[in-house]
Amino acid sequence: MAEGALYFIQLVISGLAVGSLYALVALGFVLIYKATDILNFAHGEAMMVGAFVCYALVLYGVDFFWAIVITMGVAMIFGLITERLVLRPMIGEPQFAVVMVTIGLSIFLRSLSGIVFGHDNKIFPSPFSQQSIAFQGLVLSYTHLWSIIISGLMVILFFLFFKYSRVGLSMRGVANDQDTAMLMGISVKRVFALTWGISFAIGAVAGIFLANVMVLNIGLSLVAIKAFPAVVLGGLESVPGAIVGGLAIGVLETLVGGYLDQLLPGVKDLTAFVILFLVLMIRPYGLFGQEEIERV
Amino acid sequence: MKRKSKTGLMLLACVMICFGVAPNSESAEIRGVTNDSMRIGMILVKTGPVAALGLPEGWAIQDTFNGINEAGGISGRKIDFIWEDDQFKTPLAISAFNKLIFRDKVLSILTSGGTPQTIALFDQIDKHQVVNIPNALADEMFNPHRPYIFIIGATYETQIELMFDYIMNDLKAKDPKIAVVYAETEFGKKGLEAARKRAEQYGLKLVSELVLNIGSVDASSQVLSLKKDNVDFVVTCNLVPPTITFLKTAEKYDYWPTTFGINWSCDDMVVKACKTAAKNYIGVNCVGGWADDTPGMKRVREIAKKNDRDPAKMLTSLYTMGVGVATVYAEGLKRAGKNLTPESFKNGLETLKDFDTGGIVPPVTYSSTSHAPTTMSRLYRADPDKGVMVAITDWRTPKVIKK
Amino acid sequence: MRSKTFRESYEEDIRIFQTLWVRFWLVLFIVALLSLPLWADPYIIYMANISGIAIVAALGLNILTGLTGQISLGHAAFVALGAYTTAILATSLSMPFWITIPSGGIVAALFGILLGFPCLRLKGLYLAMATMSFGVVVEYAVTHWESLTMGVRGISVPAPSFFGFSLGDPGKLFYMTVFFVALLTIAAKNLARTRVGRAFVAIRDRDVAAGIIGVNLTKYKVMAFAISSFYGGVAGGLYSYTTAYLHPENFTLLLSVEYIAMIIIGGLGSILGSILGAVFLTVTPDVIKNVADLIGHRFVFFQGRYDEEWNVAVFGLLIIIFLIIEPTGLSGIWSRIKTSFKNWPFTY
Repeated sequence: MAEGALYFIQLVISGLAVGSLYALVALGFVLIYKATDILNFAHGEAMMVGAFVCYALVLYGVDFFWAIVITMGVAMIFGLITERLVLRPMIGEPQFAVVMVTIGLSIFLRSLSGIVFGHDNKIFPSPFSQQSIAFQGLVLSYTHLWSIIISGLMVILFFLFFKYSRVGLSMRGVANDQDTAMLMGISVKRVFALTWGISFAIGAVAGIFLANVMVLNIGLSLVAIKAFPAVVLGGLESVPGAIVGGLAIGVLETLVGGYLDQLLPGVKDLTAFVILFLVLMIRPYGLFGQEEIERV
Repeated sequence: MKRKSKTGLMLLACVMICFGVAPNSESAEIRGVTNDSMRIGMILVKTGPVAALGLPEGWAIQDTFNGINEAGGISGRKIDFIWEDDQFKTPLAISAFNKLIFRDKVLSILTSGGTPQTIALFDQIDKHQVVNIPNALADEMFNPHRPYIFIIGATYETQIELMFDYIMNDLKAKDPKIAVVYAETEFGKKGLEAARKRAEQYGLKLVSELVLNIGSVDASSQVLSLKKDNVDFVVTCNLVPPTITFLKTAEKYDYWPTTFGINWSCDDMVVKACKTAAKNYIGVNCVGGWADDTPGMKRVREIAKKNDRDPAKMLTSLYTMGVGVATVYAEGLKRAGKNLTPESFKNGLETLKDFDTGGIVPPVTYSSTSHAPTTMSRLYRADPDKGVMVAITDWRTPKVIKK
Repeated sequence: MRSKTFRESYEEDIRIFQTLWVRFWLVLFIVALLSLPLWADPYIIYMANISGIAIVAALGLNILTGLTGQISLGHAAFVALGAYTTAILATSLSMPFWITIPSGGIVAALFGILLGFPCLRLKGLYLAMATMSFGVVVEYAVTHWESLTMGVRGISVPAPSFFGFSLGDPGKLFYMTVFFVALLTIAAKNLARTRVGRAFVAIRDRDVAAGIIGVNLTKYKVMAFAISSFYGGVAGGLYSYTTAYLHPENFTLLLSVEYIAMIIIGGLGSILGSILGAVFLTVTPDVIKNVADLIGHRFVFFQGRYDEEWNVAVFGLLIIIFLIIEPTGLSGIWSRIKTSFKNWPFTY
């Protein structure tokens, strides 16, 4: 294949790999939004705590597979507790207030993690072989392959969950109209609690993957901010949107990095936010989202 | 309306709380000095995103000072040490400075944070005669000469120059393809400029200049771009985490250039984290290697062991630097003698000539007209099997290239 | 209970400080404030300066978010714009502070208008994210437009001078700050009482309905952005003189969040709330540090454990607690205390 084309395709593949990580993070956001109409700014911290817990478990000699399972369990409980303490009192409050509570929560969790787990960089033990698969001059590492697979699986799982299962349906009902859902006999409290638990668990998985490709420290939580554009691009309440958005942002970012970074240094990091701004201007509800119709 | 006035009351109350809760310090004749103690402050990042850069150095300084106190102090005075955290943020550094000088009345502040923080405090440092060894390697610190600021460690310019010297003279590369990967911070930019200048001096042209910021998730596009351009030597001006990301990503794409790192990323942790990915990694540093068999490094290891600092879990090069800084600082205090004032302290430091720390840092020389650091550094190569950086050259200075 | 407050003219009715009692306290407050540099140590004066800057910025944000209901996570960008404008004018063109600071405000206001137009259609969450990304873009521009802003090397700002007097030390800077703060606070207070202020509140409460009754949404929303950014810009200008050194790292998303926290904790939509919130959040870290020091001296276990991170943790916790327990903020608490005093003994 021609050099230029090879370069391009390789960039796209790397972009897909990074994008799948973004998609996994975005999925956590969409989950909570879909069920509770809240954008959880503290999701990054949930990821980070998950990664730290897993690191601590592995450090104590727990086998990696079980460490992930236990971490997901711990994350779930953590999500339940958070929901009960912080979000339950906020039911019914205006959206602005709830957003601010999650921002406050994110700040609090980040510094608490720093105090509890320490501020230094920790090396995350990687269960994946550092080798890569090479195919006709294109390369993909095992870690990235796994993240694509897992993200894909999660998305399919949740898509089916929301569409066909009772619990999923009740979540959508609650997101649509809390009062009506309550009238129909759905326990809003239980739905909320479940949603947060699951979202934190997914966040933990995303965190573990991120810690694999980066260094584990407090900065991990800031990756979530990068995922906002992915969420908005796909549509805040669309599960397939999350993965499309995440992959799109990943690919675009990597392409910009590969071609434009020489001209405009550092523009790669800006790409996601420029896209976010454009999406908000042109089509705020994203590619797959639904337009909100406001009635006076 | 009553609201406005009660605001005033509340403001007053707030102000009074601050005032009232403030600890009362005896006003010594010389700020921070009494007959049997001296108060030293330090502004160094302890928490926050770049805490990993400040913690080991701070611990080292604390441990060294504790050791000095146990041995009886300096000229009969024990060191009363206060470590203020600034989270590497300028406003917090300024607040901490104000608190240390006006509230705690310290004799001197060991380091006033990083480069941006110190620059912001330049005027204050001169006004209050605060002898200072900042955690900064920029040449603005000593050029123009600043009476109270002393620098330890080679500047970024020196480090980059040594890298190029190594490529051209030691590896005898013919027509090398060199690229720079830098972080968008002041040291990254300085490194970039130094690289451009040095390349020009050697008659080379840099192939590309790419950004890799701290906190980057992925270095794929940078690695792929470098690979496409067939770059043989990558000069990185970055901290440890992005360097680890870069090396690991390069490994994934089966790309093995010789990668150079500045002092902030020349640390055993890079080797431990990257393992085989670091096999072509060379770093420049102005401190001794952790496993060196020199009297100074032995002392460093002892201090670490005594205070339960685990070398596998921290940036050892920074711990070493901390011990070096504290040692030089203490020497200056010693040379100031019994009559300790900010001026005598400054003069004491200026008498240092080829002061040997036994291999922790290269010999330190200051004079009343120059507080510039040594231009000596060493190059280290990563040894993935042992998990440490091993010295591959002796202490050397950059070659002077005449136009 | 207040009595004998008869209002005999329209002018008396709309006066801000109405009774003699209030005016007495006000005078006392002003005297204490203006004499601060005489009896307080430089550290307290420095904290007062920083509080003043925070007050101006918080006022601006409260006009946009509290009065007009437009959530903005990009306020730090306007502070940055104002700060850099002031710094650049002061260093390269050597203009005096009474030109540079208002210019900083004006430049920030222009960018505010620039941001306001695209954001007309957005609400709530989407608006928050749009303003956040604006903040990121400004941060990027400031870091990279090196020829103008010196990028990561930072700009050193010379001390302001007033007809030959250098205003370099904290005491003199204090007077400069007090001047601007007083001016802008009175302006904000009056703004809230006028037609423009009422239009803002209408937009916050039900913007579609406001549009129907004749409030020109475009004009007033953009105006809100402009005014709020102007305040932010002036705060930035004061900031550059107070810290004397600017670095892009100081104006991140976290700063925007801090400002939002100030107005939430202080009380959304209330001028007093902005002041209380700003002072509270500036002073609290210090108080906590002092308290921690005291505890450290008493119980050796705690010595040295405390670090800045506790402050950040408390900061986050405060936001959460205030939102859950006291949504009207400090000014709400204050109103309640005042009302119970006023109505005593009928305090229910």
